[in-house]
Amino acid sequence: MFDLEAAIAGWRMQMLAAGIKTPVPLDELEFHVREEIERQVKSGLNTPQAFAAAVQQIGQANALKQEFEKAERTFMKRTLIILAGILGVLLGMALIMPAAHLYKEQGMMHNAVVGFSWGIPIVLFGVGTAVFGLKRRKA
Amino acid sequence: MIRKELVAASAEPMILSLLARGEGYGYAIIQEVKARSGGKLQWTDGMLYPVLHRMETRGLIKSRWGESETGRKRKYYSLKKDGKLAMSQHHEQWSLVQSVLAGLQKGQYV
Repeated sequence: MFDLEAAIAGWRMQMLAAGIKTPVPLDELEFHVREEIERQVKSGLNTPQAFAAAVQQIGQANALKQEFEKAERTFMKRTLIILAGILGVLLGMALIMPAAHLYKEQGMMHNAVVGFSWGIPIVLFGVGTAVFGLKRRKA
Repeated sequence: MIRKELVAASAEPMILSLLARGEGYGYAIIQEVKARSGGKLQWTDGMLYPVLHRMETRGLIKSRWGESETGRKRKYYSLKKDGKLAMSQHHEQWSLVQSVLAGLQKGQYV
């Protein structure tokens, strides 16, 4: 006698073994499989056939895992770009502010110029990188 | 048979357009697309979910867990403001492509 719950539990184990995470997205995928099984049974298949059809339609665990990883990698890459931009701004400010202080308090023109000439481009580069990362995040 | 590149490219605008009509969940989205395309657009069901996941991380849609009629947990998706904007942009681009193709068939310019 076909045990649907055991079959679904076995399918879940395969998904977990392939690296599909729980509860997201595995619970959602399981719900989808159950809905499809119901639909297939209503359209005339028996339960084992409906289960096989539903699982086939969901797709192979490895292929799914690759697609989820692709989505996560893209998100991480763009987040890192934004963070790099913010770090650039902070680094640039770390050069500009002491330079400004040196110039204002001690009149040290040479050191101030060095600080500004490094700090300002780094800040601008950081701002540009962060904006680029934000725009790409939406794309 | 629709080329898989076209299926992949059209997935996001279709999902956005369906969610613009109201909140939806993955299984219903797939059934709607199959029904509207007369079965010609066949998504590998599982592949919808990475697309939804990607759209959610990009801030185009949001999700919430609810309950189905049978009491099972079900994830519902809805469109965000950025998703509406993205949908408009997709519609514009697809309309342009469709116009150019239609024009080429008739020997006309858009």
